[in-house]
Amino acid sequence: MEQLLVHCAAAIESNDATLSQQILWVLNNIAAADGDSNQRLTWGFLRALITRATKTGNTKLLTAVAHLHSNNNLPIIHNHRFSIIELASFVDLTPWHRFGFTAANAALIEAVEGFPVVHIVDISLTHCMQIPTLIDAIATRMKMLPVIKVTVAGTVEELPPFPDFTYDELGTKLVNFAMSKNLILEFRTVPCSCSDGFSALIEQLQLPQDPGEALVINCHMMLHYIPEETINSCSLRDMFLKTIRTLNPTIVMLIDEDADFTSINLVNRLISAYNYLWIPYDTMETFLPNGNKSREWYNADIYWKIENVVSHEGRQRVERAETKSKWVQRMRNVGYRGVSFSEEAIGEVKHMLDEHAPVWGLKKDENEQHLVLTWKGHNVVFATAWVPAA
Amino acid sequence: MKRGNLNNFSTSGSSSSSPSSMDKGKMWECEMEEPGIDDELFGVLGYKVKSSDMAEVAHKIQQIEVAMGNAAIDGYSQFPAAMDDTFHYNPSDLSSWLEGMLSGLNPLPEFDSSFDSFLESATGGLAVDDLDFGSDLVAIPGKAVFANIQFHQPSPENRNQHQPPSKKAKTSPSMGDFISLVESSPAPRSILIDSQENGIRLVHTLMACAEAVQQENFKLAEALVKNVGFLAVSQAGAMRKVATYFAEALARRIYRLYPVNHHPQDLAFTDMLQMHFYETCPYLKFAHFTANQAILEAFAGKKHVHVIDFSMKQGMQWPALLQALALRQGGPPTFRLTGIGPPSPEDTDYLQEVGFRLAQFAKAINVQFEYRGFVANSLADLDSSLLDIREDETIAVNSIFELHQLLANPGAIDKVLRIIREMKPDILTVVEQEANHNSNFFLDRFTEALHYYSTLFDSLETCDGGGGADEAISRKNKMISEVYLGQQILNVVACEGVDRVERHESLTQWRNRFNSAGFEPVHLGSNVYKQAIMLLAVFDGDGYSVDENDGCLMLGWQARPLIATSAWTMSDGYGERWNRRKYVQRRHAPMSES
Repeated sequence: MEQLLVHCAAAIESNDATLSQQILWVLNNIAAADGDSNQRLTWGFLRALITRATKTGNTKLLTAVAHLHSNNNLPIIHNHRFSIIELASFVDLTPWHRFGFTAANAALIEAVEGFPVVHIVDISLTHCMQIPTLIDAIATRMKMLPVIKVTVAGTVEELPPFPDFTYDELGTKLVNFAMSKNLILEFRTVPCSCSDGFSALIEQLQLPQDPGEALVINCHMMLHYIPEETINSCSLRDMFLKTIRTLNPTIVMLIDEDADFTSINLVNRLISAYNYLWIPYDTMETFLPNGNKSREWYNADIYWKIENVVSHEGRQRVERAETKSKWVQRMRNVGYRGVSFSEEAIGEVKHMLDEHAPVWGLKKDENEQHLVLTWKGHNVVFATAWVPAA
Repeated sequence: MKRGNLNNFSTSGSSSSSPSSMDKGKMWECEMEEPGIDDELFGVLGYKVKSSDMAEVAHKIQQIEVAMGNAAIDGYSQFPAAMDDTFHYNPSDLSSWLEGMLSGLNPLPEFDSSFDSFLESATGGLAVDDLDFGSDLVAIPGKAVFANIQFHQPSPENRNQHQPPSKKAKTSPSMGDFISLVESSPAPRSILIDSQENGIRLVHTLMACAEAVQQENFKLAEALVKNVGFLAVSQAGAMRKVATYFAEALARRIYRLYPVNHHPQDLAFTDMLQMHFYETCPYLKFAHFTANQAILEAFAGKKHVHVIDFSMKQGMQWPALLQALALRQGGPPTFRLTGIGPPSPEDTDYLQEVGFRLAQFAKAINVQFEYRGFVANSLADLDSSLLDIREDETIAVNSIFELHQLLANPGAIDKVLRIIREMKPDILTVVEQEANHNSNFFLDRFTEALHYYSTLFDSLETCDGGGGADEAISRKNKMISEVYLGQQILNVVACEGVDRVERHESLTQWRNRFNSAGFEPVHLGSNVYKQAIMLLAVFDGDGYSVDENDGCLMLGWQARPLIATSAWTMSDGYGERWNRRKYVQRRHAPMSES
């Protein structure tokens, strides 16, 4: 089926109407939105390819296709908007995010021990879902309880999972939760945008800080939304990392997906995406029984990614993940030094993984500097910790 | 077992014979052409041409068709042949006469005024309007078909008059007006005087000409058909092309120069044209998708399937179906394909080649595949018992634009429907042109066809052309598609009797036939409809419409349906496998007795 999708993409790119239509016809008959994980994966890509192909068409036909949607053949993909509670439990279902949370929390707690104020800049896809566990960890494990300041990147761009709450509501809840643990938490949101490398956020951070503050930059699955192209030997991603470095952070956590969606060539991108995004579909079998509402939410969010990678171009195409090696290279080039995860940290991650299906695994690279979450042996998410090199 | 089967291929390697292409061993005798009748006809008309030359002549006429279509396109000619400057004009030699016409159809700047005077002298200075049909056969064809070239050269008498053609009586032109128009007006010096007006007049002239033909008033018809030429060049795009083809068809009818198209080379040529048509616009693709979807659904859950294809051609329909079957849940069935087609030109065996290619494809995608090709001049010559229908097979019979040809022979369609019933198909998929081009009344046929092919040519104008990024290929595809459709136009308008094979009938008419012959409709279902819409949305432009008509699907342009797909099964329940088994057992008994 991958072959067919690849040929179809190639045919669409070369404007070969006959071949595209033939393959689309075949795919339409073998893919199914509600079949096994393979069928659903194919269906997602098929749907994205159709969307891409019809983009070159005109509005009349697009309405025809939309009409198609409403007739249930291609049901409208509705991305659920999560309430805080829903999101919290949703995110907890798999190690996909928990892995990054656990590793990051463990590493940063060790790094900020002794500082009276800990300032966490949370650039996270999960709308601060890491913070409750962090608060908990701080409360239980740190000898000296610091004042916690949380600065959240409130991006203009809407990325799944989509929230059904405001960051103000979120902030209030977090402050209250911290209070319940006898911690003081200050919470603020800085509106910014991925498309310019979070420059608004950085500007805020460049304002004079309290010298006794531990600055923690927690990047969880967000950096790959910064445009990665290098123009005039200047890359927004590198700029971002460089500027952060000048802030002299105590520790920088970089957690992201280990995949390459950056190719300009559609076919290559499709192959990369197909060979990575089969994983979330596959994992669904283990934690979401059929019929569960969350399945649809989960499907829809995966599909959002597929559609973005396959049928969008230019500024709209935001899903530009890079591999772990690429990110590591960037960090080193810009002047960071990797920090190994401690035994305790690794132990915590393992402990967390035990709560999930045994097919999830943990890999350690480079003297425990890189932790990688695996599914059936394939790399899924990597977690790394960095400090500015001397 | 091999009861004279040809072209037997199977990937299972069971009962395969080596492709013995030399052993044509046709199952059924070809219809023998009556020798010499064409020769007599042409002799009477003063032409020294043999019917054996007709294929070449036909080919040249096709070249003309294309060239005429290009005549008004500046400096644009894709036919390298015969575009030399030497002009041969020997009216008794049809073949070189055509050569001459082709050479004369160069783009305007090269047009030689001396040519016209040559023509004048050859005809003894007869004026355009003063030709008596039947008296000077020599001159007529040249002038008639050259109508749109003469346009650029005013006739000698009227060289000094510059007035534009009179604009009287546009809405309801009387015959008299037209005749006087032809007699008095000079060839206008400027091409685009009033394109829209000329467009209306063009249609009226065509209709008037057809009416004249209907009434056998050939002198009038001839005059009118020349006028069509003048008017046609003032049009652009589809209108011009359609008018040109219809004019040529009328001219042929008037001059009894009927196109002959049943040699294997001609059929192979038409097949080639159809392949380009397939690439260019969505009609054939739609036919394949919709038929395949119905077949795929009929094959759901079945382990052994057998497709009998009446329209085998290049087998373009089957790779997609094979691929869908290969990847379906539960794995592919064993797939048998029986391809039926007309005889190939000498030294070729396209049925075998197609089968071989499909067998290779099937092997590559791991589908057990068996192929047989049957050569038949007519579907009515088929013998279902020789098709080796097996008991446990699910059978699909597929016919794309084939059945209407049978209507040229009385009784043939009923025979074929009976033969199909003998095969006990689980599904019969039929795609036909949605039009009635089979009226016995010529004028009705003409009018219907004019509307139908105008619509079709309109859609071709906006077609992508199927060349992808390559403009030249797209242009070529479109041109060849026009020739393909032009052939149909010629057949509908200029042919009669058994030669007139493009006997399209409407869905309603076909429904009656199928219902009376013991078939009942299989509704195509919303899945087919949605797929069709989705596939059209990809690549194909605005303007196409897909309509569901009581379980059948139609594809049209600007709300005019042009082709219709329908699916059928046996109405007395014999389609059920278990019923069929019983029937087959019964059937076998008499066979063994004989």
